Amino acid sequence: MTEKQKHIRNFSIIAHIDHGKSTLADRLLEKTQTVASRDMESQILDNMELEKERGITIKARAVKLNYTAKNGETYEFNLIDTPGHVDFGYEVSRSLQACEGALLVVDATQGVEAQTLANAYLAIDNNLEILPIINKIDLASADVEKTRSEIEDVIGIPAEGCPAISAKMGLNIEDVLEKVVTDIPAPAGDASAPLRCLIFDSHYDPYLGVVVYIRVVDGTVRAGDAIRLMSTGATFEVFEVGTLQPFGMQKCDSLSAGEVGYITASIKAVGDTRVGDTITTVADGAEEPLEGFRDVHPMVYSGIYPADGARYGDLREALEKLQLNDASLVFEPETSIALGFGFRCGFLGLLHMEIIEERLEREFNLDLITTAPSVIYKVKMRGGETVMIDNPSKFPSPDAIDTAYEPIMKATIITPTAYVGGIMDLCQDRRGNFIDMKYIDTERVELHYELPLNEIIYDFFDALKSRSKGYASLDYELKDYQPSRLVKLDFLLNGELVDALSFIVFDERAYGRARKIAEKLKENIPRQLFEIPIQAAIGSKIIARETVKAMRKDVLAKCYGGDITRKKKLLEKQKEGKKKMRKLGSVEVTPEAFMAVLKLEDE
Amino acid sequence: MNKDTLGLYLHIPFCVQKCRYCDFCSFASSEAQREAYTEALLSEILHAPEDMREVNSIFFGGGTPSLLSENAFSRIFSALQKRYKISRDAEITVEMNPGTVTGEKLSALQSLGVNRVSMGLQSSHNEELSALGRIHTYEQFLDSLSLVLASGIENVNIDLMYAIPHQSVQSFKETLARVIALAPSHISAYSLIIEEGTPFFRERESLSLPSEEEEAEMYALACEMLGGAGYRHYEISNYAKEGCLCRHNLRYWQGGDYLGFGLAAHSLYRGERMANTEDFLAYLKDPLSYESREKRDSAAEAEEYLMLGLRTSFGISPTEYRARFGRDLLVEKKEALSLFSKHGLLSASEERLCLTQKGFYLSNTILCELL
Repeated sequence: MTEKQKHIRNFSIIAHIDHGKSTLADRLLEKTQTVASRDMESQILDNMELEKERGITIKARAVKLNYTAKNGETYEFNLIDTPGHVDFGYEVSRSLQACEGALLVVDATQGVEAQTLANAYLAIDNNLEILPIINKIDLASADVEKTRSEIEDVIGIPAEGCPAISAKMGLNIEDVLEKVVTDIPAPAGDASAPLRCLIFDSHYDPYLGVVVYIRVVDGTVRAGDAIRLMSTGATFEVFEVGTLQPFGMQKCDSLSAGEVGYITASIKAVGDTRVGDTITTVADGAEEPLEGFRDVHPMVYSGIYPADGARYGDLREALEKLQLNDASLVFEPETSIALGFGFRCGFLGLLHMEIIEERLEREFNLDLITTAPSVIYKVKMRGGETVMIDNPSKFPSPDAIDTAYEPIMKATIITPTAYVGGIMDLCQDRRGNFIDMKYIDTERVELHYELPLNEIIYDFFDALKSRSKGYASLDYELKDYQPSRLVKLDFLLNGELVDALSFIVFDERAYGRARKIAEKLKENIPRQLFEIPIQAAIGSKIIARETVKAMRKDVLAKCYGGDITRKKKLLEKQKEGKKKMRKLGSVEVTPEAFMAVLKLEDE
Repeated sequence: MNKDTLGLYLHIPFCVQKCRYCDFCSFASSEAQREAYTEALLSEILHAPEDMREVNSIFFGGGTPSLLSENAFSRIFSALQKRYKISRDAEITVEMNPGTVTGEKLSALQSLGVNRVSMGLQSSHNEELSALGRIHTYEQFLDSLSLVLASGIENVNIDLMYAIPHQSVQSFKETLARVIALAPSHISAYSLIIEEGTPFFRERESLSLPSEEEEAEMYALACEMLGGAGYRHYEISNYAKEGCLCRHNLRYWQGGDYLGFGLAAHSLYRGERMANTEDFLAYLKDPLSYESREKRDSAAEAEEYLMLGLRTSFGISPTEYRARFGRDLLVEKKEALSLFSKHGLLSASEERLCLTQKGFYLSNTILCELL
């Protein structure tokens, strides 16, 4: 190990949402004077507006800090900020792989939560040294000792003497910095071995192309090196290497084993630099890539359409721009009879979907109509071939199906004991398969279920929150595909099938769902000149029906001289409102109708 | 519409008490305020634009115009006569509320030339009247009505309201039957509109209002019963015996010129829309200037032509529309028109486009497509 290596510490901060991860990052930057106090703003690493608002990190990021420890020596810290949500589990694991240690932040008023646990396990799986940190000790309801014993009992890591801090007040931050020096190992790796760099993220820069965030595991990389991406075999010439600073990038001569930084190499698409892939040199390259690379596939699909058909081109451009920085977003054009031209988009999960939709609307000023999300089903056809179905309207007819399979998730729910009954009912109701239940302490329970993803995306999270007064937390990952009795539920408005409303449902749930959705649709279809039957059907069999009565009254009863201007404005407003309606054949529906099928409320 | 005549509107904003649904410009007042207001009104009339056209309709609206004194009316009439040529057969209407007039005042009004009275009854059921915040009972209305008829004013309108709290189709039917039995020359039947800023608006969640179905049934009932009794349904909410259509109100719907005097009064005059202030003190201080004044462009005029014209049973003329605005409705809106006529909401020909009874009650939907 080189002298330089001995003075490097690579770590990330992991936490359940809202336990104070970003605030601690801010304090570390401030205490090491990486960011001058006058430039300090909160959640400095979350520079996307949406990240600050939602209090979550969407993209991974890294920053270099210099810290002079109490022993008088100066250390280089690389803080790698990981995305903080279950949808981004793989990305988190790659960021962790770039580190030797992790600061596990636990809120002293909340204790260990589902994501605390999930993240801690991820860190343990990646052989990281975990440094527990108890945060929010300034709050009256903080219970440091209880949190400490929870960390030891539930996660099973020693927490004796771990820093108890208030990131918000800047209390005991020094303790954290010292612990990083003493407890987190310096990076191993051989600077003279063949090059192996782990890609843990990238972003797109319009001038430089893709900026690839790397951790050098072995060897040294310099500008001018010919490099190869080991999963695809694509080769590039390194244009620039450097380190990552809070407000940009700092060019340097080389990066060696143990260091974290970036390279640019005129790479055109983030899709070419997959997270988890290994970079080596073309000449005398490494034989074996680093372990753990996986191709990530979207789990949830939804149709996204511009509310105004004329903005189809704008939507494509916006999606392309977002994709520059988000290789996990996939989309392809699709056509709906009901909604016209749009895109079928694949996401890592529901949060990822919401984020993309929100960014499209906010950053690109688009009005969207989105169809209810769907998972990917696997269908073995009678003919023998197997097809993957990402769009419910393409689900084959029952007589063509040999076996249908749906994705089953391994779900972990942590809840106060008082809500266990209600949550177990919910999981039962959502076709959950109970695995086991562990008491974390006398007050909290960890439940393990296998749940169909198809049930999780139908409002499961909201139902979970409402049954636990907001206290339960959820984490899940794909287990496998299992055979299931699935049917396609279609909806007809005024006798016409609306493809954008079709969705896949477990056979025995079809009747209940059909009735609920028909009711929801009724609420979202304003009265019109004629009566509108809403029918739910499986194949040609109608299984539920509602009726939107014909409109009987839409009139300004009184209109005389003085009133005319005001009444005219009312009429103009009504006309504006009508423009927002979506016409499906002869029926006008509110744009929200397509999402309404998703909002089932707690059944 | 005959462009060679002019209408005058005078707004009298005083009420004994404001009704719970009312969003018109009206309030309780003192004698001194009414006197000051009359002075301001006189000054506005005397400074109004000179116009050689004959005035063939005058309408005193409110508020409750009958709260003004005989003396005030007499001064206003002389001012009007001084400024304008009032036709011998002009329709001169005064709105009044039951219980606010005496036989004396009515004879005085009659001798000043008032030949039409519009009475706000709303309902023949006292519990409905009190739910609306009306100050009178049905019996008081009957007394006032006989005073009007005794004064020699025969042309009487009775205002009714439906879709009001606690009303049933049956109770509205009774009201209609009672009013028909009184045989007024004109009946207006409005559905209640919950206007923003009124007590009803604030209580809208707790008002027990008839459903849309019941309301539509009430409307259909009014059409049927009044039609059967010989009243012509000539505007969405207005019904009249032959020859008793309200000339002044038709002027609004058919685009004729009118000048409005008084607080919050509006005018349509030589292609311009003008509005007076709604601020009482500001009006007293300066009754002569308009708060807003807007030249109608051709597009606005075309919109108004449709929006207002289609309120009446006369409808509009596509031929005239084409000649005036250079657009062919029958071609441009062919699809919408055929859909509406398929649903029995309108009939359309070169000469006349008009809404049916059912179409009247869905006129906003129709207008949204045609405008």
